[in-house]
Amino acid sequence: MKSNSVSATRHSRTTHLALVFVGVCALVFASAPLWAGANILRLLTDFFLYLSLACLWNFLVGYAGLVSIGQQAFVGLGAYGLFTLSRYTGLNPLVSVLIASVVVAALSIPFAALLFRLKGAYFAISSWVLAEVLRLTAQFIPQIGGSSGMSLPIEAARALGAQPAVRFTTIYLAAFIALLMILSGIYFTLQSRTGLALTAIRDNELAARSNGVNANRTKLIVYVLTAFGTAATGGLIFLQRLRVTPDSAFSISDWTALVIFMVVIGGVGTFEGPIIGAVLFFLLRGTLADFGPFYMISLGAVAILIMIYNPRGLWGHVRDRWHLQLLPLNFRILSKQDS
Amino acid sequence: MGIGTKSAFSKSLSRRKVLTQAAGVGAGLLMAPSLIRSASAAGDPIRIGFVTPQTGAMATFSTGLDFVLESFRQAIGEGIKVGDAVRPVEILVRDSQSSSSRSAEVAAELITNDNVVLMLASSSSDTVGPVADQCELNGVPCISTDVPWEPYFFGRGGNPETGFDYTYHFFWGVDQIIQTFTSLWSKIETNKVVGALWSNDTDGVAISNPEHGFPPRFKAAGYELFDAGLFTPGAADYTAQIAKLKEAKCEILTGVFNPGDFATFWSQAGQQGYHPKIATIAKALLFPASIEAVGERGYGLSTEVWWSPNHPFKSGLSGQSARDFCAAYTDKTKRQWVQPLGFKYALLEVAVDVLKRTKDINDPKSIVEAITATDYQSIVGSVRWQGGPVKNVSLTPLVGGQWSKGNGFPYDLDIVDNAAYPGIATKRPFAPIAW
Repeated sequence: MKSNSVSATRHSRTTHLALVFVGVCALVFASAPLWAGANILRLLTDFFLYLSLACLWNFLVGYAGLVSIGQQAFVGLGAYGLFTLSRYTGLNPLVSVLIASVVVAALSIPFAALLFRLKGAYFAISSWVLAEVLRLTAQFIPQIGGSSGMSLPIEAARALGAQPAVRFTTIYLAAFIALLMILSGIYFTLQSRTGLALTAIRDNELAARSNGVNANRTKLIVYVLTAFGTAATGGLIFLQRLRVTPDSAFSISDWTALVIFMVVIGGVGTFEGPIIGAVLFFLLRGTLADFGPFYMISLGAVAILIMIYNPRGLWGHVRDRWHLQLLPLNFRILSKQDS
Repeated sequence: MGIGTKSAFSKSLSRRKVLTQAAGVGAGLLMAPSLIRSASAAGDPIRIGFVTPQTGAMATFSTGLDFVLESFRQAIGEGIKVGDAVRPVEILVRDSQSSSSRSAEVAAELITNDNVVLMLASSSSDTVGPVADQCELNGVPCISTDVPWEPYFFGRGGNPETGFDYTYHFFWGVDQIIQTFTSLWSKIETNKVVGALWSNDTDGVAISNPEHGFPPRFKAAGYELFDAGLFTPGAADYTAQIAKLKEAKCEILTGVFNPGDFATFWSQAGQQGYHPKIATIAKALLFPASIEAVGERGYGLSTEVWWSPNHPFKSGLSGQSARDFCAAYTDKTKRQWVQPLGFKYALLEVAVDVLKRTKDINDPKSIVEAITATDYQSIVGSVRWQGGPVKNVSLTPLVGGQWSKGNGFPYDLDIVDNAAYPGIATKRPFAPIAW
């Protein structure tokens, strides 16, 4: 809360209530290992991890305007980083996830140097190409199992706890902490100078540049932070799965298409949107997943309907209609609406 | 959010009302499966998880799954006798969507939500591997089939000395398929030049490996290998490869294809005048539907046969022979038998045999004890983990087959080579492709 003169306009009764609600939720989820069974913990873990991906993608697309459809590149690198470190060094998997994420974040800088030469649709396609190149490369490296992939050594998984219950709790807490860090990371970035620069760039890049905003540096910061978070999430996802293959790790449908679905139905460029989208996705999945192809058809239908009738997504619609803002973010827009 | 808001009962559908109702319906639908589940849990059944690809690239391998499940339910009737009580058996079938991620997810769900005592998995490494991994880690016994055993075992980082504790598999392996292919080829006079193409996917890359795959074994068997390389699945033009195969005068063609790709390749080969004497292809030619895609050019193509109505085996559960089982399938569905039918049924049979011999069904270790002691005659032959190549693998027979004009259906798969398993009768000698 650095800003002082304007901050009063960011807050309202709704945001105070929402913050209390967020705090209660955090407490409930943090204490889940005490009251929830393994099945609920696993579902929540899955939810947190998908939510992390959705928020990160939204951060990249909704705020920095970098429409990437190649985020599976970072999920895959994070996953392979974890499995490779676990197989060849025997480190604790959570430490491996952290190391892998740092390495992936470093790798994302040369990736950015390549991709940032392209704009808009060209950037989107080339981000996908990059992910495909990584997938094909992984298929041809026998040390990481080639195209048949590899399993996490049993000892590595047991390092998280000898009993399944302990293991579920450990992974659950790791996913929960990762989500909290990602959410608060995004939240504070948006409130910082970078956040202001981002909004300026999103609204009009040329104008922002001529006002002295270093657009490329700002985008790079977001890109690298997102790569770090996505890799960590990827590592945790595959820590649960126990097996990684190039097709599953670099899967565009699992790690980007579904994530786009969540963000789009929830509302691109809003902090709350991905959360709503992820909840809706999990409701649909829990209900329809056993119906085979019908499941995918209905997801597609929902996405199309929302894009036609509510291009700003569910939360975008709610916000525009009732001027509702749960979290004290984006104060400039809010102050305009509230006045 | 949205639930519990005061909704105005106006006649027009307000957006809020629609949202509220949608949320209500959503919540209702979400609860439905759990209600059904708790209702059926009444009779204290034994729960078995069964993960298999019903949609996606490997969906054809689950052809006839409903028939298999129904036959199985008929065969066990009220349930199975465990200890003193007869307990019903509940098979929880889950679709892996042919994806390794989804397989891991549904397996974990079956373990944690449904508390299955035994897991079954079949068809392709992408389904069986992740399911077995979940079971091994969570200490749930798992029996699987329909994946060559080397990818199953070594693909999961298995160590032949120690093996796995909870996961067991029955199927054939790479050595057997080589033996079958080379035995087929030895029956016809050729220049012994083998041309090979491999699809660039999990199976193709594994099988074309220059150290562990087919190539060194063909050479060891006295064949000269001309490797036309990996091709991208879904490729539309094979002119370059066909030209190379013609130039190298490959009288024998082999490799790994997906069914659709082989149909494309084979019609182009015909048009461009590449006429090998023998074409023995793995994976692409298992189903009548794949031959139908090639049309009359499909006569004379050869492939591996894991199971057929002519296999002299009987189910230890229902007493049905392989022939009767296939006849019942055709009778019921009006469709031709396919190879995975037998293995799917055998998987369920073996599970029942294991559970019947288990001392304490709630103790995974006790179930594993029963698995290792298995000596069972199933509809696909003997299943016995003592004396396998590694402790977790039991081998099933593999013979060679050739497609010919059918009797009743357009194409029949005739067994033409039984070098490895003389007990399985051949129908006729292996013949070169009639061009």
